[in-house]
Amino acid sequence: MEKNGYQKQVMEVYQFINDHLYFNRPDIEIKGERYNSAILFSLLTALNKGKELIIGEPGLGKTTSAEFVCSLIYQFPLGVIWGSEVSGHPEQTEEKIIGRPDLGKLNRGEEDVVWTNFSQIPVKIVDEINRLPETKQSMILDGVDRGNWEYLNEMIINDEYCLFATANYQDGGTNTIIAPLVDRFDTMVESRYPGAHLSFLIGKTKRKDHILRHPKYEKDLYRVLKSKIAHEKKIPKLEEICNAFGEYVEEVLGIKPLQRQDRDQIRTEMESLEMDLDASAFTRMLLAEFSFCERYGQKRVVENCEEGCHYTGYLCHDIKNCASNRLPTSIKQYARGLAWLMGDGEIDMEHVKSVLPYTLAHRVQWKDEVLSQKERAKRDDPFPIFLAKEAVKTISQRFREQSEHLKDALAVGSKIFQGESLEVLEGDHPVYVEIKKDIEARRT
Amino acid sequence: MKTSLTQKMVSTGQPVGGGPAVMNPFEEFKVFRFEKTDIPLDQIVQSTEAVMDQIRRGYEKLLEEEAKELVWMVQYNTIIKAYEVAERYVREIDYSAEDIEDFCFALENTQKIPYLIPGPAGVYISALCNYAKEEEIILKLSELKTEINLLGFRLPKGKRMMIEGDTGDFTGIGLEGGELVVEGNAKNWTGAGMRSGKILVRKNIGLHTGEWMMGGEICVGGRVRGLGNIVEGKVFERDKLVYPGKVRNPNLYY
Repeated sequence: MEKNGYQKQVMEVYQFINDHLYFNRPDIEIKGERYNSAILFSLLTALNKGKELIIGEPGLGKTTSAEFVCSLIYQFPLGVIWGSEVSGHPEQTEEKIIGRPDLGKLNRGEEDVVWTNFSQIPVKIVDEINRLPETKQSMILDGVDRGNWEYLNEMIINDEYCLFATANYQDGGTNTIIAPLVDRFDTMVESRYPGAHLSFLIGKTKRKDHILRHPKYEKDLYRVLKSKIAHEKKIPKLEEICNAFGEYVEEVLGIKPLQRQDRDQIRTEMESLEMDLDASAFTRMLLAEFSFCERYGQKRVVENCEEGCHYTGYLCHDIKNCASNRLPTSIKQYARGLAWLMGDGEIDMEHVKSVLPYTLAHRVQWKDEVLSQKERAKRDDPFPIFLAKEAVKTISQRFREQSEHLKDALAVGSKIFQGESLEVLEGDHPVYVEIKKDIEARRT
Repeated sequence: MKTSLTQKMVSTGQPVGGGPAVMNPFEEFKVFRFEKTDIPLDQIVQSTEAVMDQIRRGYEKLLEEEAKELVWMVQYNTIIKAYEVAERYVREIDYSAEDIEDFCFALENTQKIPYLIPGPAGVYISALCNYAKEEEIILKLSELKTEINLLGFRLPKGKRMMIEGDTGDFTGIGLEGGELVVEGNAKNWTGAGMRSGKILVRKNIGLHTGEWMMGGEICVGGRVRGLGNIVEGKVFERDKLVYPGKVRNPNLYY
């Protein structure tokens, strides 16, 4: 795909954040280029309307990295982003997250909702999500999933939104994030310690975040957000102010944030990208391994592997749960974003392999014996991402060995579906059994 | 013609039994040029199977011609005749020593070969060995439950045949200069009528050893149960020459 300038514009945003706002080391290499995963995936999340979970130690820039990215991709001054963030704590309520009754109108016997800034603006940041008690996490499930925010039988739907949530590692004040909420996150990255020297520089220099603030535009935006007009009518007004802030940023900082039409155009371009056959076959192989159970038909968190199962060597034997249908969506979404950013015409294996560990890490529940066996292994990544990277390596190796045979098997499957009388190609990997099952389902 | 909604939604796939069309989950791979590529192991397995089929057919023909009613009498004439038939089939097959060993196991373990008759089987295996490309043939038969007769029949000069395991009666008869080594025991009539060459039996040997042998050597690592009427040649028992010697009563040696 020919680069039309948007890729350059987004990479300039990446570079600006990397050079001036969020100091960190590159920790991921894609097609010979090195990137910082926290910035790269946050950019993709913002562009893709994705949902990202950022983990890390306190004070290592989890929230700020998301704020900078959102400010430059959505043209919101930092003051507005701060004012719309939701922080996780045990006393958090629906009224503070989504909306509250309009008390003035309520006194007059009318019902109306005053929506929070969080529910109205496309940039949604939930700070310390795992400090929300499990019972309250379900409050944001629907909003996180679909962008629908409901209160008092009223609803606003965010056409364009992205969500960032930060989480600390487990301590006395944290709760586990419930499985259905975790699964709704497309990706998980770690905001890492930048190293002693970069950390020293962060302490030495003045606060950089003021450069993305603009009190006047912040006030204007608040005024629109608080106004009583319908949500749909607020959007063009908000965009107008955001564009003005974008022009200011371009003038002062020399980088051009993305306008709504830019983002829409980028998404249209991304949607035109499809996976090549290798990437597709590889993803199918991975999905088969993360969901397959010969004995019980599929993985279920409540069922245990049978002793001496033939498939003991595959990853299905190391995990407890089944891959959800959101996993392939996330893989495709982020691999597509990456392919677009790199100016490639198709989503290939490299794109898929690069995003996989970050889309898998939070979703896989490994068996205890696997965890205890590998927890002491030497590594640079947090444990879940490390395990996911190892798993991707294992499956890549298997795919290298049998990619042609697998593509043949899939091609034969396609021909059988088209009515040709062919024999299903056999193989040892669970993916071949899945092909067979689909064909048998067709025949019956 | 009206199209159902489900059929409209599906771009490919054939409706089955008049029901709605099923979505083709592999559709993107229809563009993949499927070529049946054989992995090397497949090719080896296929060629081995093809050769085995030929060898098996030769054996079946031999049984049809020479063992009608599944009865086969070991007589000099019948052996010669069976060998001629076996030679005819074997000459047309391109096989290796490994195929001979596979055939020995197939004789016992596969349903494809209906009858293992130790006599014709031995004649046939001997013909296979005598016409094999390799000069040295090793047959690992120790796992075999049946002891095959007539192994090493007419083994020619320049060939060495080594058998791991025991052999049946008439081992190495009519040897024609080859070297036959049996790592286990051999039964009766071993080396009968041999003209030249060497038979080495590591363990024990049965009765009538070397009956009418005209030359060559039979060396036995264990015990010789009985010698036959030997015309010429040598028989050793544990490195000790027992023929020619004082023994005059065949089969009453011990």
